[in-house]
Amino acid sequence: MPKLTAMMTVKNEGNRYLKRCLEALEKYVDEIVVLDDASTDETPEICLKFPLVKLYRNESSMFLVDESKLREKLWHYTIENKPEWILAIDADELMEESGIKEFPYLIKQKDFNAISFRLFDCWESEEYYRTDGIWNPWLRGFSIYGVKYQPQLADHWPSLKFHCGRFPLAYRKLLSYETTLRIKHLGWIDSNLNKAKYERCLRQDPNFEYMSKEHYESIIYPPEKIKLEKWVELL
Amino acid sequence: MPKKLALLTTNFFNPAGDRIIMGGAERYQVDLCRLIKKLGMDVEVWQIGDGWTKEFDGVKIRSIPATKSEFNTFPELNMAFYENAMSFDYAIYFILALAFPIVHEKSIAISHGVYWDWPGFHISTGRQEAHQEWIRRMGVALTGPQKLVSVDTNTINFFNGTLPGNYNKWEYIPNYVDTDLFCPKERKEPEGEKVKVLFPRRMVPVRGVNETMRAAEILTRRYPWIEFHFCGRGHDDKVERLMTQWINTQERCFYYWKPFEMMPEIYQQADIVLIPSRSTEGTSLAALEAMACGKPVIAGLAGGLSDIILQGYNGYLIKPSVENLVNAIEELALDKVKSKLMGNRGREVAMSFSKKIWEERWAKAMSEVFR
Repeated sequence: MPKLTAMMTVKNEGNRYLKRCLEALEKYVDEIVVLDDASTDETPEICLKFPLVKLYRNESSMFLVDESKLREKLWHYTIENKPEWILAIDADELMEESGIKEFPYLIKQKDFNAISFRLFDCWESEEYYRTDGIWNPWLRGFSIYGVKYQPQLADHWPSLKFHCGRFPLAYRKLLSYETTLRIKHLGWIDSNLNKAKYERCLRQDPNFEYMSKEHYESIIYPPEKIKLEKWVELL
Repeated sequence: MPKKLALLTTNFFNPAGDRIIMGGAERYQVDLCRLIKKLGMDVEVWQIGDGWTKEFDGVKIRSIPATKSEFNTFPELNMAFYENAMSFDYAIYFILALAFPIVHEKSIAISHGVYWDWPGFHISTGRQEAHQEWIRRMGVALTGPQKLVSVDTNTINFFNGTLPGNYNKWEYIPNYVDTDLFCPKERKEPEGEKVKVLFPRRMVPVRGVNETMRAAEILTRRYPWIEFHFCGRGHDDKVERLMTQWINTQERCFYYWKPFEMMPEIYQQADIVLIPSRSTEGTSLAALEAMACGKPVIAGLAGGLSDIILQGYNGYLIKPSVENLVNAIEELALDKVKSKLMGNRGREVAMSFSKKIWEERWAKAMSEVFR
């Protein structure tokens, strides 16, 4: 069975979903490379409780300064650990339960060097996900979260400071196997935090180069403008 | 120098070349290319696209910017292929209609089953003159290649009744199943607890998905121990969303798709497999795989399904109306002895559709033309 390495950057995840996310990953990955972006809470201690975690730490935070440099650094730490397949997942993302059983098949297959998933943004609770505008997971299509490491591919990153992607450019162009497995994104559940996130988006993208103004506005829509659908287990 | 073979198809990748959904036809093409290489030839695939070149499973795939289709044929693509693939020794036309109007001297065309029994086909070639023109073009397409391979007897019978002059060109090479990979295996859960009904198809109307959904609604309400599993992609994202929403409203109905490597297990965990196609069917790979796993198959009366399912022996051949589906599923769900017997017979039948036999037949057909 090929080795599956998960990689993630974390920052102050102590009272968020990190523990749950790592517990879930432990069930189907062989190694978890974590780059802690200068957390000031117990995030590193949580990581170190998991034997599969290989922890790297930044002295000072890079996330808001240059996200692509941060992602690039994580990538380099990951490939130092001789991965075969790499799963790029965030500390607030959960793979569907049936992934535990399916992942070995996905990385054993030889037709595709990338695996893509649909991301579902949970809203208000884990029971519902958002479907209006480009929150709609079906409209957004599939995104690559898993790739087979290929040393011959260039590892350039786009010089974008925001929304810079999780893999080097060459990997994002790979033909992917589109899986049935859905990823639950828990990052928007706590509505108290969304206002701050909205403001951060505007600060980082004041001229709406990465996303439309309307989409940023939709982060703080009143409930009547938000469409939700119930999450059900598919298998 | 190994001989060079060019295979022409329409869409292995999507025309933009950035997406592929592996279904039966795509798997057939990959397996055929592997066999061609095994026989010592080089193979390249050509299809519709804006000029890109890609590789899949070690085979180069080139695209031709010719999207026009008329009377359900692709003359522009056909002729661009004819001119551009001149340096190839042999050609395979992966779809019969692609052999219109001109073919390479040493060539074979394949039929994967009748697709003109689909009601939508009559919308595109509805008028009498248009239909006549389509038949005329198919006559030309059949005349060119040295051999015509059909996956079922239904296509051959249709053409023998319509364009009888090609009788001697037809070669019946039914579809195949890897009987080592797809084999019976004991269920993980104890028998007798649940009855799992599996619909392992794309979520499209011609495959009978709408009838199956209605039948599932009726039967899950009638029996608390019955489950329906819909396993396959939709034709677009919207269909996959609708299926997910529908599942949301149902008890004991599931929707997903799985990588090919996982499919043997999916069949092994099922009790009854549905292939309720209304049209556009050959000798379905999914039906053969279900049979090879020892499952009874309830199949639609379409295409070549009657080549592999014998009514009442290894399954049922029905007109897939909701009522007929409900009755057939109910009968097998309630009579486990019969269901098991039919499944065992299915395995036996599947053995004569093994991949090894398929390869031997194809190797022979190719050796007769490609020399």
